[in-house]
Amino acid sequence: MRNRVAQPPINPFARDTERHEFWPGFVLALVGLVVMVCGVRHLTNLETLNGDTAWETQLVKAFSTGGLQYGGSAALPRPDDLMNPTIPRPPSPLSGRSAPADGRSKVRVNTEAKTPCPT
Amino acid sequence: MECTLPTGQSRNSASLGTKLKRIRPWVQTAFLGVWLAPLGTWLHGIPGCVFHCYSCPLSSFACPVGVAANYAALLPATLEVPYLLAGVLLVIGAVAGSLVCGWSCPFGFLQDLLGKIAPGKVAIPGWLGNGRYVVLIGFVVLLPLLLGLDGIPYEKQAVSICRLCPAGALEAALPYSIIGISEGREWAMSGLKMGVLLAFLVAAAVIHRPWCRILCPLGGFLALFNRISLFHLRFQAEECVECNLCRSRCSMGVRVDQKVNVTGCIRCLECTTCGALEPTLAKPQDPPGQGPAPRG
Repeated sequence: MRNRVAQPPINPFARDTERHEFWPGFVLALVGLVVMVCGVRHLTNLETLNGDTAWETQLVKAFSTGGLQYGGSAALPRPDDLMNPTIPRPPSPLSGRSAPADGRSKVRVNTEAKTPCPT
Repeated sequence: MECTLPTGQSRNSASLGTKLKRIRPWVQTAFLGVWLAPLGTWLHGIPGCVFHCYSCPLSSFACPVGVAANYAALLPATLEVPYLLAGVLLVIGAVAGSLVCGWSCPFGFLQDLLGKIAPGKVAIPGWLGNGRYVVLIGFVVLLPLLLGLDGIPYEKQAVSICRLCPAGALEAALPYSIIGISEGREWAMSGLKMGVLLAFLVAAAVIHRPWCRILCPLGGFLALFNRISLFHLRFQAEECVECNLCRSRCSMGVRVDQKVNVTGCIRCLECTTCGALEPTLAKPQDPPGQGPAPRG
């Protein structure tokens, strides 16, 4: 049992009832529901390894399974190299400069990945 | 606990609040059946609404914090809008606010259990709750974004919310390290993660829900909806006997006697045992506006 906190003098009838209105919460919940349904039906800008367009659900799943593959991952600089100014830095697969001309990202989604803990 | 009235008489706790207090651990236990992959991991493509590592061998949904950080790191490569994540959090926030923290979050439940180890608890100042927004903006959005701009994919970022997360250490790194040892491999858990886990366990024993109160970015985000959510706590002036049981009950250190639908609240509903605070749903026929209760 916790100790009772001493009560400072209050006037209950002067206190806000904190009653919430219905419509702001309802409208926000409705917007959230629509956005959620859009997300389930959303095709991303990323490709799967098969060349199909990845669904958003596939992308989210790829986050947890190490399923993102970077086009130039072999050329990715190590964190140590980034600190060394004498080592030339290759163009990053994450930078917009290296994006292909067709607007597709070089990042691909491996829907079969099963790496247990990517980090 | 009884309310002692200013007249010296006493009043028993409200029956609804007492019932809620009694069933909460059971509801939290029942929700483990939802989050701990009873049907496998085929729902990993959908972000959940509670703090539970998606790399845990037992996780039904994706961790919303990890998903948000991944989206931020991916931003330099492609502009992807996290519709699913935004939708899930909007619906949950608008309907219930931080009710999920108090009643269904497995990591919150774990801290509740760890908190029973040591009887006394260290009080922490309320302003530390702003740490949740520092973590949300700094570690979940800005850091992965900046490192992503530098060409480092999220998985390879040396400092990230996932690498520092105690839930990840406990629910993913620890079990996979144990599995690895049993299969003859080396201990995989880094020293940093072990340190984070140890610090969390000690903190959870001496402070009530330290992660939720100081660092949880998801709880901080959902708590922003506490001021408008359909489910909320309503103050009934005519029931208040100025006993301060509500504030004495609050283990999160919220000054419940002044305002209750605030960002520091996890809606465990312990304060409702006093009877003056009533859990309720907003209805369309409710009269508009807030303000003091009519006298009498």
